[in-house]
Amino acid sequence: DSWRGWNIHPPSYPNGQALESFAKEVADKTDGRVEPKVYHNAVLGDQPDAIEQVRSGALDFANFNMGPMGPIVPAANVLSLPFIFKSPDDMYRIMDGEIGDRFADALAEKNLIVLSWFGSGARSLYNTDHPVKTPDDVEGLKVRVMNNDLYVQMIDEMGGNATPMAYGEVYQSLKTGVIDGAENNYPSYESSGHYEVAQYYSLTEHLILPECLCVAKASWEELSDEDQKAVREAAEDAAEQQRQLWKEGVQESKQQVLDAGVKINEVDDKSAFQAKMQPIYDAFIQEHSDLESLVTDIQAAQK
Amino acid sequence: MTSYSNQPSEKSDEPPLQTLFDRFLDGLAHLCIIVSGILLVFLIVTFGWLVFGRYVLNDTPTWVEQSSLLIVVYITCLGAAAGVRNNTHLSIDFVREGLPALPREIMRHIADFFVAAFGGFMAWQGWLLVMDNLNRAIPMIGLSESWRAAPLAICGLLMVLFSGVNIVQRLMKHGRK
Amino acid sequence: MGLIILFGVFFLGLIVGAPVAFAVGLASVVTFLYEGLPLFVGFQRILSGISVFSLLAIPFFIFAGELMLHGGISTRLVRLASAAVGRVRGGLGMVNVSSSMLFGGISGSAVADTSALGSILIPIMKEKGYDADYAVNVTVTSSVAGVVIPPSHNMILYAVAAGGGVSITQLFIAGIVPGVLMCLALAVAAYIVAVKRGYKGEAFPGWMSLLVSFVAALPGLLTAVIIVGGVLSGILTVTESGAFGAIYAIVVTGLVYRELRWEPFKQAVYQAVRTTSLVMILVGCASAFSYLLALYSVPQLLTDALLGISDNPYAILLMLNLLLLGLGMIMDMAALILICTPIFLPVAQQFGMDPIQFGIMMMMNLGLGLCTPPVGACLFVGSVIGKIKIEHAVRTIWPFYLALFMVLMLVTYVPAISLTLPSFFQ
Ligand code: NA
Ligand code: NA
Repeated sequence: DSWRGWNIHPPSYPNGQALESFAKEVADKTDGRVEPKVYHNAVLGDQPDAIEQVRSGALDFANFNMGPMGPIVPAANVLSLPFIFKSPDDMYRIMDGEIGDRFADALAEKNLIVLSWFGSGARSLYNTDHPVKTPDDVEGLKVRVMNNDLYVQMIDEMGGNATPMAYGEVYQSLKTGVIDGAENNYPSYESSGHYEVAQYYSLTEHLILPECLCVAKASWEELSDEDQKAVREAAEDAAEQQRQLWKEGVQESKQQVLDAGVKINEVDDKSAFQAKMQPIYDAFIQEHSDLESLVTDIQAAQK
Repeated sequence: MTSYSNQPSEKSDEPPLQTLFDRFLDGLAHLCIIVSGILLVFLIVTFGWLVFGRYVLNDTPTWVEQSSLLIVVYITCLGAAAGVRNNTHLSIDFVREGLPALPREIMRHIADFFVAAFGGFMAWQGWLLVMDNLNRAIPMIGLSESWRAAPLAICGLLMVLFSGVNIVQRLMKHGRK
Repeated sequence: MGLIILFGVFFLGLIVGAPVAFAVGLASVVTFLYEGLPLFVGFQRILSGISVFSLLAIPFFIFAGELMLHGGISTRLVRLASAAVGRVRGGLGMVNVSSSMLFGGISGSAVADTSALGSILIPIMKEKGYDADYAVNVTVTSSVAGVVIPPSHNMILYAVAAGGGVSITQLFIAGIVPGVLMCLALAVAAYIVAVKRGYKGEAFPGWMSLLVSFVAALPGLLTAVIIVGGVLSGILTVTESGAFGAIYAIVVTGLVYRELRWEPFKQAVYQAVRTTSLVMILVGCASAFSYLLALYSVPQLLTDALLGISDNPYAILLMLNLLLLGLGMIMDMAALILICTPIFLPVAQQFGMDPIQFGIMMMMNLGLGLCTPPVGACLFVGSVIGKIKIEHAVRTIWPFYLALFMVLMLVTYVPAISLTLPSFFQ
């Protein structure tokens, strides 16, 4: 079988490289019974569309960020709660364990078989004006966020002015003061060039979103047990490679922005930010009472 | 070529009932244009509000972006349906118009069939998308994604109607000759 | 096989004269069925293709252009151009070219340009003793500059079709020099022909009159300044500046010029809706089509085919130009931008061409197609206004083709022409 895979990133990105080696390993281990081909750069549609395509079996596999997964798998919104994970390592540990399996089960209900978890680093705030050390420093800042009510609420709770905006518009808007800041991980902060125009990068690490490597249920069930095992192994190897490449990428990007004169600061007290998020958590749990245990278990696992 | 003219009307020798029906269809197409026009003006006003909110109030209305992406689908689909009735779509007809009467008539039928067939698929799949997305919310405005798919179903139906009537009327005219 | 079905159904639809959008759409649907892919994917592509933020600028630009047409901005632009350059030999030819530069700077639509300026200028030119074919030729060819001079909704289409990796702002800036060059080349051609045919210039109306017509045209000209200025300064996004430009145009035509009343306003809205929906449905259907192009790796196939003919990048670029020119003769601009960009851009990039430069080159090629038979919207509109046969207009149009073609070659082989100015804005 030839498998079609979706990737939003260019082939040179850690995820692109990992997916290519996944494709190669699967072809090798199944003796060519499965031959995956990766379509990079989102040429087959953006993520919400691609999710539907994998669910229906039009595509066979994909690497999805869990942020935009929320509208289809409500449980995924837990991962978009600000400050739910303390560090990327905590995130990997938890997603690789029993809690990760519960998310995988939730995706399986929607015909998405999760094989392994990738990372997308930690997203932090950056802005054009001053270091953010306490929530008060966000007061009045116009901050671009992704299109998700949780992210809008997060900035609003900090006292900022959340501005959803297409990613491609952010650079110009930062440059000319249409917005004051945005939030992203080191590699995107660097590759987008946003560091040239927004020089203060504050390590809030408010979002640590996992990504999944998943296969369409229909394609998965066509495989023999032996081939399923081979594909799963390949996916785990790909995850290991992606996490390693990502880590190296973060170091390189960090060095590059430092060399460019960006001022990076730790936040004094993350708990002050977390405290501000309480209303979001309360509202979330009230709306999705079935997800409360997932939230508290993740928190308990990081005590 | 790019045609900007309306189809020549041949109302004079049609039976009254058909004229009435034609008028009904013209009215339907015109209604589509009116609704799209109002939506276009609304779109412009909301963007004015967006810029005003961002610069003057320092409180960006977060619903503008997503709602305008929804509205533009309505403008497109309603306008495209009206375009089928008014025959304003971009098409290449110099090949067809250069041919003798018989092949020309056949090609007109095929062209209408293209519109009807695609409209049929569009109505069907649009309806499925409406039903599948009932529980999927568009971020920031809370409406269901079904609202985005609904114009596809409407536009598809209208396309089938408008082009189907074209085919039938042309066949009837032939029958009378 | 899938590819044969895709293009087979598509061309069948084109030949029988089905709307291009639905020929593209039905071809995609049939191919989805053949491949056993779920159909909803195609219609999902259509919806996502339409719901793109930067595309929202298109209805705004088109609406602003319609307001200019119905609200008295274009007449004032012509008066200004006439006072400024009318005294040169073949003066009204120069007036025509320079009005196009001003008007195209706002509307971005070559057809709108031809019908707006043509309906004012062609009758005047004929009255003053210019031959009809000359009047039509100048009007039609100079309107192409409007596609390249910012703002231009066709450039937004290109940026979106290129997959979002191309900055609309950079494209806008890149179009300025080629656009002005086109106008200069056309002015030279118009001058030479005018001298050959013995046309005279207009009497200079005096500096005072020039000043008066400038002041009268200024509020209208500011529409372009607002749209382009908003984008270049970065204060507004492309979409916002489009909306702002449209609002401003309403104010100018309604309150300053007082020519926009309810009836013309309604006309402007209807025309804008009509054009917008036709372009956007094409955008949607083309994104279903390009899903399949990506699935079949068509750009790679084309690259291999071209490499089979020659591996000289200059020869490849020339072939791309000829292909685009040929396609531009038989098909409309928007459709070609949407269908050809995903196929040709990766090829051009593989041969070292910048996507911005390629975009400008493509606009010029397809723009030239608007002035050529058998399918040339501008040529048709111009000939109808000039009340001459298309064959009559085409017989004497070659000096103007030549002028545009020379600029096209410059843009193709001298990257600096399109890339120098944007580099200052990075
Ligand atoms: Na323009
Ligand atoms: Na002109």
